[in-house]
Amino acid sequence: MRQRHITTENTEFVILCFEGPDRYSLAGGLGVRVDNLSATLAEMGFTTHLFFIGDPELSGEEVRQGGKLFLHRWCQWISRYYPNGVYEGENEKLYDFNKSIPWFVKEHIAKPAVAQGKLVVIIGEEWHTAEAMCRLSDALYSDGLRDNVVMFWNANNTFSFHRINWGRLNYTTTITTVSRYMKHVMWRMGLNPLVIPNGIPRSLLRNVQDRMADEVRRALGADLVLCKVARWDPDKRWNTAVEAIARLKEKGLNTVLLARGGMEPHGQEVLHHARSMGLTVAGARTNPGSSDGYLAALQKAASADIIDIQFHIPLDFLRVLYRAADGVLANSGHEPFGIVGLEAMAAGGIAFTGCTGEDYAIPFVNSFVLETSDPMEIVGYMMYLRDYPEEGKRIREAARRTARSFTWEAAVQNLITKLENQARIQGTLGGMPTPSTPQITPEDLMATTLKRHY
Amino acid sequence: MAQDLVIYAVVHQPRRIKLPAQPIPKGAAPKDIEHCLFDERLNEEYFHKVATYCYYPATEMFIELADGGLKLSIGFSVSVLRQAEAWDRKLFDLFRQLAAQPNIELINVEPYHSFLPLLDLRMFAKRMSWARDHLEKIMGNRPEVTDTTEMLMSNGIYHALDGLSFSGAFLDGRPWVMEWREPTHLYHKGKDMMLLARHYQLSDDVGYRFSNKGWWGYPLLADSYAHWLRETWGDFMVLAWDYETFGEHHSRETGIFDFMRCLPGELSKRNIATLTPSEAIAKYRERSFHLPLPAFPCTWAGDGGMEFFLGNAAQQAVFQLMLQAYNKALLTKNKKMIDLALWLIQSDNLHLIQWFDRWGSDAEVSAYFTPEEWWKLEPSGIIWEMQQVYKNFIQSLDAYL
Repeated sequence: MRQRHITTENTEFVILCFEGPDRYSLAGGLGVRVDNLSATLAEMGFTTHLFFIGDPELSGEEVRQGGKLFLHRWCQWISRYYPNGVYEGENEKLYDFNKSIPWFVKEHIAKPAVAQGKLVVIIGEEWHTAEAMCRLSDALYSDGLRDNVVMFWNANNTFSFHRINWGRLNYTTTITTVSRYMKHVMWRMGLNPLVIPNGIPRSLLRNVQDRMADEVRRALGADLVLCKVARWDPDKRWNTAVEAIARLKEKGLNTVLLARGGMEPHGQEVLHHARSMGLTVAGARTNPGSSDGYLAALQKAASADIIDIQFHIPLDFLRVLYRAADGVLANSGHEPFGIVGLEAMAAGGIAFTGCTGEDYAIPFVNSFVLETSDPMEIVGYMMYLRDYPEEGKRIREAARRTARSFTWEAAVQNLITKLENQARIQGTLGGMPTPSTPQITPEDLMATTLKRHY
Repeated sequence: MAQDLVIYAVVHQPRRIKLPAQPIPKGAAPKDIEHCLFDERLNEEYFHKVATYCYYPATEMFIELADGGLKLSIGFSVSVLRQAEAWDRKLFDLFRQLAAQPNIELINVEPYHSFLPLLDLRMFAKRMSWARDHLEKIMGNRPEVTDTTEMLMSNGIYHALDGLSFSGAFLDGRPWVMEWREPTHLYHKGKDMMLLARHYQLSDDVGYRFSNKGWWGYPLLADSYAHWLRETWGDFMVLAWDYETFGEHHSRETGIFDFMRCLPGELSKRNIATLTPSEAIAKYRERSFHLPLPAFPCTWAGDGGMEFFLGNAAQQAVFQLMLQAYNKALLTKNKKMIDLALWLIQSDNLHLIQWFDRWGSDAEVSAYFTPEEWWKLEPSGIIWEMQQVYKNFIQSLDAYL
């Protein structure tokens, strides 16, 4: 008799991605995503295999989480020639990945699992895995295994879309993406991906100590504190953020922007633009260490309008900054999902998101959603928060409540529901869908909405 | 009428390059470069396939025929021996058993089946000498007669081989080389080394045409073939084939094995004796004839000239890249990189793209040898990716200079 649901006993997961949990493999949000997704699946009891471009100095295979999570560090022989991270030697790695992964997954995971009567779920992340997914599907098909395998390929961004053979990918896999915005971007390409949002680790729902946030405020000594964490990329609208600081300063408000960018050259343009508007810029540097050290580094640069944070900010301290800030500028012009805004909300911060992929953001309920690149939009909302401090408090509470429904557990539940549906279409599972309990009720959201001051 | 017959078959499998081309990491170690250049998984698959259809049944057949008194000669490229040693030890031992038969003479061949005789005669001679020692070491017999690659022969090649004290060498008896001469005599080019001229029509009757239902001689039976041999004018005939003729080019179902098993009896009926190449040289040395050899190499492939390998723009481009790869590898003075370059100048890499921009039976033969897996790249993709393999290798040599 066919099984009705995906369970830990009848299903194994395989995730293919270039990025992964190793420091070598973490380049951005993608690594964090697959790290959390795989860990959550394993924590829920699913045997999960994560294939990624791993640190060449670590073991090729590592078993974690009580034997449930298998890390397969791929292409290590190539990575030894490219010590500067996952994307160095990208084409060399891609060739090897495409050539070797399909065979390995088919022979060593799919075949034994199917022989045990299990369903295999394979999730490919980003353009790098598109070709491997197609080849894997073909290989499974030729061995009569394809019906027992559900294959989802997920677009986290639009990077290198031109390198994907969409017709083939769409035929061999179920295409998914992380937001309705991405769905519409891809719709224009003749695709109709399923939307499976990202999530945040449940640990991010822990309370941030207000005492720590107060210490940050004291160290900075400013009337208004804004925070922005993003790559130095025009899409991230850094210049809008900087211009907003200048406008707030013109209004006589002592405002400081905590800016944490990356290694990208656009950063120099942004900081030059800031200086050209009369803003002062200071770098904050320190060695990895304690919160006191980070605080001291910020305090040292506090006289500047823009503090260019040049040290790695641990997540715990980052959450303190989100909480301490009057606004977290996640104001991208193009954002497939916008994890920073959600993380800020989980920390009880006030997120200023863009209005593309941030499906979690409800304007004036749990965040501010910026419709334009006009800095005055930011300025207007900042002035509103200053005039109505209780609104800020309410939004912070609503933000934390919203974040609860975007944990990885919730995201995985959503994923499994869609996988089950696909498995039913393939005839691998029988029965009909049954409801699952949402993590946040519509009433919760309505309660916060009604308290608005507008 | 020719009363003696020399039979020669050469066993060879190419070391196929990896298509699409695998990018080589910067500063890669030789073993990693090698991994990027050659598709060993594909090679192993093809090797097992050919072993099943050809090498096992053909070798068993030749051992049986030799036991029955048929004399013949076999050449092995190092390329095929390495594959057998790595992937089918039982077959490797069977090859050794074949080479040890008293009625079988082991023939030396260019070890990697490379175009070295076109590129660098000094190195060619060195490699032929190495191959001879190597074959003696693993097969137990020291070859006295030699083939080259695709039976390439020219004035220069002759002299390079003569310097190695081989008693004889093969060449294809094409009219443009032989001119008014019959291929059924023993020849020389003024030095000690004798030349055994392959009778290309009679050889190709079996090698190419045996299973061609459109050929006027189809079906070819052992008695009629023996009759044609008997009717041939001269001292002796040389028949030379790819070993893969038996079971691979012509499947078992065509009757090729039955044909060969019947042939010795039909030869006996007509008083045709089989000789090993060394025996033929010994018997006819005193009445050997001078043969002027061309500066342009001749070959047993295609129409007998280098146009089979260099006849289209794609082949010419790859040949240029072979020259660059080989000569740049020499600059590194790195033995392993030079060895990789020698593999890359394997003649098969031009053989496999003879079909480009061509049609007809030669192109069909060439396309037949092109790995099926490559065709999904489409013809222009195959050419592009093949060039890319060479370009990647040439680039990778930078780290060794």
